[in-house]
Amino acid sequence: MAALRLATSAARRAPSAIHISRRGYAEASDKIKLSMALPHQSIFSSTDVVQVNICAATGDMGILANHVPSVEPLRPGVVEVIESSGSKKWFTSGGFATVHPNNTLTINVVEAAPLEDFSTEAVRTNLQEALRVASGNGTEEDKLEARIEADVYESLQHALGSK
Amino acid sequence: MSAVTWRGVFTFNKYSQITASAVRKSLKEEQRLASEKRGITALRYQVWENGKGGNQVTLDPAQESDPKKKTAAV
Repeated sequence: MAALRLATSAARRAPSAIHISRRGYAEASDKIKLSMALPHQSIFSSTDVVQVNICAATGDMGILANHVPSVEPLRPGVVEVIESSGSKKWFTSGGFATVHPNNTLTINVVEAAPLEDFSTEAVRTNLQEALRVASGNGTEEDKLEARIEADVYESLQHALGSK
Repeated sequence: MSAVTWRGVFTFNKYSQITASAVRKSLKEEQRLASEKRGITALRYQVWENGKGGNQVTLDPAQESDPKKKTAAV
């Protein structure tokens, strides 16, 4: 009798056990569908990728398959897309990354370009100019704008340096 | 970090415009020229009455004549 009760309770527990195993750690062999769009171009559209590393406002994070649904604001920084064939990096100006419940990730950003499209010299001169304006005697708004730009350039320099 | 301080002064749209233009300005010459036009947001309107168009009014003339010039609009 006890054995029968054990068997039935195990049977009753079985479906939930299957459900739990689906929500465990993501396996590296699983893929997530990535859509990455700019206002003027669509870089990925429902492409199966292994992992996406993003610069979220709260910190850097890597997204694998079956990630928990979430909305992450992006700060200016690198988005790295790892496919089974290799990885590629873009520098993005900021936007949003949304993980949908159906294993889909969408990244919407205003401006993005592959790292090799950036000129180190341009970044350096722009940074100097921005820092000069930020510490100059313009209006508070101008100085803050220059400070935001300087942060972008510093982040770009860091990304290009570690390419 | 400016990330915390901009909110009181700029809207999110303005902030993302600033970061986007900074990214555009850092591109290599070829890509930069191609991307420069994207930053322009210009709007003109015209009132039509009895089948005739009135004057065209440009909302932000500075933006249309010199898109690189910074405006505090938006």
